[in-house]
Amino acid sequence: MNIVLIFLITIFSVSLFFYGKSKTKTISIKDNIKLNALPKFYGYYLVLWCSIPALVFLLVWSLFEPVIIKSIIIETAANQGAIFSDKNEANLIYEKIKAIHLGTYFGDIDSILRESALAYAKFINLFTNSKVVLIFGIIIASVIYSLKKIKNNNKARDDVEVILKGLLFVSSLIAILTTLGIIFSLLFESIKFFSVINIFDYLFGTNWSPQRAFVRDASSITAAEFEELKDAFGFIPLIAGTSFIAFIAMLVAVPIGLFSGIYMAEYASIKVRRISKPIIEILAGIPTVVYGFFAALTVGPFFRQIGENLGLTVSSESALAAGLIMGIMIIPYVSSLSDDVINSVPQSLRDGSYAVGATKSETIKQVVIPAALPGIIGSVLLAVSRAIGETMIVVMAAGLAANLTINPLESTTTITTQIVMILVGDQEFDSPKTQSAFALGLTLFIATLILNYIAQRAVKKYREKYD
Amino acid sequence: MSNIKIKSKNLNVYYGDKQALFDVNLDLNEKEVTALIGPSGCGKSTFIRCINRMNDVIDICKVTGNIEMDGMNINDKDLDVVSLRERVGMVFQKPNPFPKSIYDNISYGPKIHGKGETKSELDQIVENSLKKSALWEEVKDRLDEPGTSLSGGQQQRLCIARAISVNPEVILMDEPCSALDPIATAKIEELIDELKKTYTIVIVTHSMAQAVRVSQKTGFFHLGKLIEVGKTEKIFKNPDNKMTQDYITGRFG
Repeated sequence: MNIVLIFLITIFSVSLFFYGKSKTKTISIKDNIKLNALPKFYGYYLVLWCSIPALVFLLVWSLFEPVIIKSIIIETAANQGAIFSDKNEANLIYEKIKAIHLGTYFGDIDSILRESALAYAKFINLFTNSKVVLIFGIIIASVIYSLKKIKNNNKARDDVEVILKGLLFVSSLIAILTTLGIIFSLLFESIKFFSVINIFDYLFGTNWSPQRAFVRDASSITAAEFEELKDAFGFIPLIAGTSFIAFIAMLVAVPIGLFSGIYMAEYASIKVRRISKPIIEILAGIPTVVYGFFAALTVGPFFRQIGENLGLTVSSESALAAGLIMGIMIIPYVSSLSDDVINSVPQSLRDGSYAVGATKSETIKQVVIPAALPGIIGSVLLAVSRAIGETMIVVMAAGLAANLTINPLESTTTITTQIVMILVGDQEFDSPKTQSAFALGLTLFIATLILNYIAQRAVKKYREKYD
Repeated sequence: MSNIKIKSKNLNVYYGDKQALFDVNLDLNEKEVTALIGPSGCGKSTFIRCINRMNDVIDICKVTGNIEMDGMNINDKDLDVVSLRERVGMVFQKPNPFPKSIYDNISYGPKIHGKGETKSELDQIVENSLKKSALWEEVKDRLDEPGTSLSGGQQQRLCIARAISVNPEVILMDEPCSALDPIATAKIEELIDELKKTYTIVIVTHSMAQAVRVSQKTGFFHLGKLIEVGKTEKIFKNPDNKMTQDYITGRFG
């Protein structure tokens, strides 16, 4: 129904566009007056007036219709004599009634349910009919209003500007509100988590074994259970594992990325650059899950094989394999960003250095790199925040055991891996185990935010210097 | 008549397909200031960039013909460009101090060439260079500050000090005053007058007045050709070529 309505509104608006355009043209010719705006603006004006109020109304209606119908139906069912003790049971009955109405319910139907289903059908009909009537009413009213405005030769161009500005504003508002919504949901769930687990136990605990809290309602935890849970959510092994793997990744990505960036910016001829730069950037386009199974199926076993030959015990899910592959994944970020910052070091500095007899590598080492350093640091920090937020590779290649280790050949785990592990499968939503995922998410978010902020400050500082 | 320091013969320069210099024959006298004048794009800068091979930096640039310094072929493929540039310093149109301290800006060149092995030797070089470029009194108490914190005129003198620091024989100046105000310009000109006692100087300028004030010899370029060269006095009072006459009197360019 809604789709048909939207379709009708669209058709109607488009035809109004042409009507408005030609109408204003004839007015201006017939009465020989100068229009306040081009005829097409009157067309736009009609379109916007015809569609926006109706669409907004439709949206609002669709949001509230189910809620209102539900409360009415539950009340009718209760009046009919249905018995439910809490909200969940009421919901269940409502779903049953809906299913009966749609013909998809196969259980026993008693008289209460049947009556309610009839009532439901009645209300759905009533609501749909009134929705259609109201929408057409709104369209007619707004079209009459806007046509009248057009006849008066209003400043349609300015009005269109105002409406468009409003549309753009609403779009950015949606983006901002969504972000805020996510942050607050993280925050509230984390607060619930921290009301059970002490924040210091979380931040400084060295043992991470959330499965101990499996299927246990936070509200009904006994004191003994609480003691047991207290040291199940230690954050330290996770942050250690995350930093360790990110560190290995940076060990790979920073030298290779930076050097290839320097090569691209300083040595490569235009032709080489044109071919090789996109190739490096393809690395950034490979889905991380592909890197993940490459790490898990190829690199991990390869390392284990080498380790066995050398007489070392290497876990097939090692921090080394995950870090290495993650490093390869990050190379294009470092390389392309540092290429950009090196390129924006003014040529005059290089000339100055050559002119006192410095060679190319001396110039790069002593003049270009120091001048580009803030930008390079910024690009590295962005890469770090990419590394600690990376999930797929570590899920597949680094293992799940929260070992507190600095041996790169052992398996370790990261924040993101644990979030995945916690939320996979059936979960009791208010157990501390599930809530801990939100706490981890919040911690990760804050860490990445801080890194990004520092990185952007560094890059900005650099830009100011040469622009 | 003083010695000829640099001698160019049939010098041609090409940027890709475009020829920028045509058969330039120009001699530069030792310990004298030679001014190169001419409208924009006439090849003055291209010419001086041949003297320290700065054109090497540009991929598509090709140089043919002969250019010699003290009998040494500058265009020789096997020539050590680093030691050439140690002998031929350059100052650019826009002051381009490195984003380092004033001290490091000047010690950069000597360090690269292994001059001034001890700290005190290096200090001495820095002090001498700054004194020669008449900047010492202004900056001696703040050698640690970044070179970019100086004013435009000071920055340009810092760049001159940087060029002097490796003790070159020739200094090339590519419109060194075009980004400076008249007072800073006057200081630089005074400095050039002083420097010519020690160095051979070539200066590219758009200001006739400046050419008259600082140079002993002037060359006039037009569309990549050296139209006329001679004593500055003669070029500006009584040029042989009508084009030179028109240019210096402001009828074109």
